[in-house]
Formats: sequence, C-alpha cells, structure tokens
Amino acid sequence: MSEIILEVKRLKKYFDTPKGQLHAVDDINFSIEKGKTLGLVGESGCGKSTTGRVILRLLEATGGEVIYKGRNVHEISNKEMRELRKEMQIIFQDPFSSLDPRMTVSEIIEEPIKLNKIIVNKEERFKRVLELMDLVGLSRRLINVYPHELDGGRRQRIGIARALSLNTEFIVCDEPVSALDVSIQAQILNLLDELQEKLGLTFIFITHDLSVVNHFSDDIAVMYLGKLVEKASAEELFENPIHPYTKALLSAIPRPTLDRKVEKIILKGEITSPINPKKVCRFADRCNFAEDICRNTEPHLEEVAPDHFVSCHIFKA
Amino acid sequence: MKDTILDIKDLNIHFFTEDGIVEAVNGLNINIKKGETLGLVGETGAGKTTTALSILDLVPMPPGKIISGEITLDGIDIINASEKEMEKIRGKIVSMIFQDPMTALNPVIKVIDQISEAIIIHQNLDKEKAEEKAIEMLELVGIPRDRRNEYPHQFSGGMKQRVIIAIALSCSPKLLIADEPTTALDVTIQAQVLKLMKELKDKFEMSMIMITHDLGVVVEVCDYVAIMYAGRIVEQGTLEDIFRRTKHPYTEGLFNSIPNIDNRKEKLKPIKGLMSDPYDLPKGCNFCDRCDYVMRICEEEAPEKIFFSDEHFVECHLYSKDKSYNLSDHDL
Repeated sequence: MSEIILEVKRLKKYFDTPKGQLHAVDDINFSIEKGKTLGLVGESGCGKSTTGRVILRLLEATGGEVIYKGRNVHEISNKEMRELRKEMQIIFQDPFSSLDPRMTVSEIIEEPIKLNKIIVNKEERFKRVLELMDLVGLSRRLINVYPHELDGGRRQRIGIARALSLNTEFIVCDEPVSALDVSIQAQILNLLDELQEKLGLTFIFITHDLSVVNHFSDDIAVMYLGKLVEKASAEELFENPIHPYTKALLSAIPRPTLDRKVEKIILKGEITSPINPKKVCRFADRCNFAEDICRNTEPHLEEVAPDHFVSCHIFKA
Repeated sequence: MKDTILDIKDLNIHFFTEDGIVEAVNGLNINIKKGETLGLVGETGAGKTTTALSILDLVPMPPGKIISGEITLDGIDIINASEKEMEKIRGKIVSMIFQDPMTALNPVIKVIDQISEAIIIHQNLDKEKAEEKAIEMLELVGIPRDRRNEYPHQFSGGMKQRVIIAIALSCSPKLLIADEPTTALDVTIQAQVLKLMKELKDKFEMSMIMITHDLGVVVEVCDYVAIMYAGRIVEQGTLEDIFRRTKHPYTEGLFNSIPNIDNRKEKLKPIKGLMSDPYDLPKGCNFCDRCDYVMRICEEEAPEKIFFSDEHFVECHLYSKDKSYNLSDHDL
C-alpha cells in the first residue's frame, strides 16, 4: 500500500448568488496516492475547477477537509500555507492569460524561486532557470523573449517550468492542453508524463476530454453538478462504466476511427441549475432510466465492485 | 452525375501586413457536389477559415488579396460578383455557422427577430409571414416556440448554436459552411448538435463544408476530407481513403497525436516542432521541417499532386516514384 498524499473529505464549496446558494462542489470524497494521477472529469459547470482551487486553498471551503500529507490545508495558518504552496502547484488552462506579458521567460520562471527564497544567489538562480527550461524542453535561446512572442505550446511549457520551480510534489493541472492544437497537445501530454516519472509528481488532472484523461490517469472521478457520480480506476471506468451519465459521456466522444461504431446515447436537455439544488439525483431530469426514487431521494456514492464507486439508485448491483 | 455546387480552382490568397506577406491559401482546389459534405481539417493557421470566408467574399481586403483563382458557387463567379450581388447570395445560397455561439448573435435583439431578419431580406415575406417561418425553424432545431421572445443571454451555449443553425438554414441554402460549430460546446451537447446538423442536411439536401480540427467529428458527418497544412491541401480523399489509406506524413501525425480512447497504454507520437512561420514558408514542401520521412528533395522542391484514384491525392515526394510506398513500412 503506497502512501496517500492527498485526501478530500466531504468537501463543499457554495457561492452566494442573488438567486440563492450555488452548490459548486457538494460533499465530495476522494484520495490520491503519491506519484499517481487522478482525472477529474465533467462538463462546464460541474465544479471540477472549483474543486481544484479549493484543494489548493485558492478558494476557502464551505465545509469538509482537504488533508495534504496529514495536515488540513484549510486549518493551518497562512504562514504554514505559504510553506505548503512550495509543494502544491497549479497549471492553468489558458497559456495566453496566465503569464505576465511584461516579464521575460527567465523572469517568469525565476519569480517563484526568488520570492520564496529557495535560491538566494543570483547566479545559481539563473542556473536553476536554465535547468528548468531544459527540463520542460524550452530552448535556451528563448530566455529573454516575452510570452507574446511565443505560441501556445511553448507558453504552456513556461507555465509548467514555473510550477516545477519550487519543491513541487503535487500539481493541479486544470485543462492544461485544451487550448492547444492536437499535435502540440500530444507534445505537452508526453512532457507531463515524463516529468511525473522523473520527479515522482502527483497530479490532479482536470479536463472535459475523456480521451485525454484515459490516456493520462490512474483513477478517474466523474463529476456532475457538484457531485461525484462515479469513481474507479481508469481501466475499470472505461471497460465497465455504470452510471448513466458516464455511459452517455463515453459514447458521446467522437472517435476518429471507422472501425468501432459505438451506439451513441444522446442525452436529453442540458445541465440544470446548481442553485439551491433539491435533495434528489441531480442527473434525473436528463437520465433515460430515472424512476420515482431518483426524483425524491438523493443517491450516495456506494462501492459496487472493488474500488468502483457509483452514485445511482438504479444501477448499483 | 450530381450537380456541382461549389468549384474552387487554384485559389491563392495572400495577406499583406506590416510584417510581410502571409501566404494564407495556396493553390487550393475544392469541388463539392449536391448533398456532399467535405471536412476541412487542420490546425490553427492552416488557412481553413480564410478559405471559408473567401466563398462568402468576406476575406478582409486589405490586408487580404485574392492573387489568383476561381470560385464558382452554384454557377456564380464569386470573385467578380459585386457587393450587391453578394448580399443576395449570402444567407440564401451559402450560409455560415461560426465557432462561437456566444458572440455570433446580437445580444439586444430577440431570437425570433434575428431569425426572421434573413427570411424578410431573402424571401420577400412580410413580417408576420416571416415570423411564422421563423417559428417553424425554431421548432425544427428543437427549441420550443414559447421561447421565441427571449434574448440570446437567456439561452445556453447549445441552445444559442441551435438558434444560429436556424438562422443559417432559414432560407434553405445550397451550401452550409460550418466553422468548428461544436468546438465551444460540451461533448453531450456536441452530440446533440451534430445529430441535428446531420438530420437537417439530409432533409434539405444541402452540401456542407465542415471545418474542424477534430477527426472524430469528421467521421460522424463527412463524405470527403481535405487535410490542410500551411495554406495547402496536402491530402484529400474520401473518408475511407483518409482513414484507411493514409498517405501524407502530416495526416499520419494527426492520427498519432490523438489519445486512443480504446487503448490507454499506447504512447502518443506527437508531430515534432511547430507549424512553419507563415511569413517565411520553407522553399520546398511546407511540412519538411517537421516530417519524419524528410528527404533532400523535400527541402528544395514543392511536391506535385499525386493521384491514387480520381478522388484521392497527396502532395508528397514520398510517392513521386513509387505509388505503392507505405508509411508503416518506414522504420521509425
């Protein structure tokens, strides 16, 4: 049994809006082992990015715990949190807006090392910047250019170098490749793969793209309207999806092959409002199998097979 | 023999900018017959959207300029048509659906009025009749008629794209150009919209150009596929040709870059490097600096078209001597 690095327990994040309380993340649980990747999957508005941000305490939780290496991230002091941030990092989706346009590549990568006083000596710091650039495959000649001179793939490499510049062990990757062209996307995915192996990193990989997540993750958690609806190993989830939403999501992916025609499950309607949700199954309105119980009682995540959890009244046997 | 709806011959479009000349579209040929769908596939900057805009005569000029070529749409010479003639063509003979449904609608006009506008202009109907037709269109794309007086911001992304489809199809165009119509949508909504587009295409016997970077979407809707790279069609053929008899190394690279959802262990093989600087394309083959099969001739001479059948061609030196050359035989 390897070491659990992060544990999320009954985590909640609600936002107050003029129309009521928006339940962005509603009572979710999961844990990640060191050196593994958890894929957090779902469509716009399901709460996956909010989850990532609450884990890093970029947003305060409404309830629940985030235990990183035995410490509750939401209870420690700001000073302790600053220490912890050296280990916990994030890579953002949009490499065009997440880099300061007025800093050069070396300044961007150097900044966290300088601010956190990791390396005080200027020359050594510069050496570290070059090392990081090599690590993420950025040519050294780009050291003094500005982000606007670079394409999306290279900018994302800067974001990765910056995330690695401290004593990073854990990274939340929030849609790190969805803004990139496919050929560049593959380059960045391979880079993240190599870095994980080389540096023993632990990832939460947030994405809406199931084919990317299948390629990349050890475990997958599927979210719908703030709830986890299914959680299993990547292999199990793709071979044997149980929740009707997971099934529909898997069948909806356009597959670039003529050989395997998967019967498409077309869901009716669209995602409903996460504001003041009732205590029922949140997927019931779009579900082809919904019965009375789904519209009256809230389902909970239950283990239906070893390490395979599903939150559904109908499919749990 | 089916009627040809769109015929583009040797089209060259350049942009003259302060930084230099961008050769956006080079030597492009497209022929689409009635009811057929062509997938135009490529990455950012490949020239897909410029090609589409040229069919509507909407390429911004300046800085754009059509250097040479012919565009014949339903028998009309688009390049030499006057603006007045184009106004009658756009929306009636050819319509376009844009990628971002959030910005393509006017936020201060009710959706019903946005749909009837095109009907009033092109079909000489009075407001009342046009509105009737617009409601019909709304229901056709799956939006209940009691939402007709709402504004775009009251609709979700998928619903907005349905409204845009209703506008585009309201005058039964012969050609529909869809520019990444589902890229901004979630997968379950994408599946709904693609299904709707296929049904309507069959219903109206329309031809379609589907611009996309997603080969999965291509499989779902296209009959023919053109792979674009740096302003050129580098390979074109039927869906079967492209997917089963892949010839161009770039096409192969695109396939290898996509994570295979049915085989998670498979390692991704990305295309190395980046798309060439459009201000400074290589002298020979545009793809030569990223190609795994590159030969000396590739850097010196631009490749000619090589045909494998009437419909399937490739622009690549690998096949200039031996048409039976096989990419998979190559030892990587």
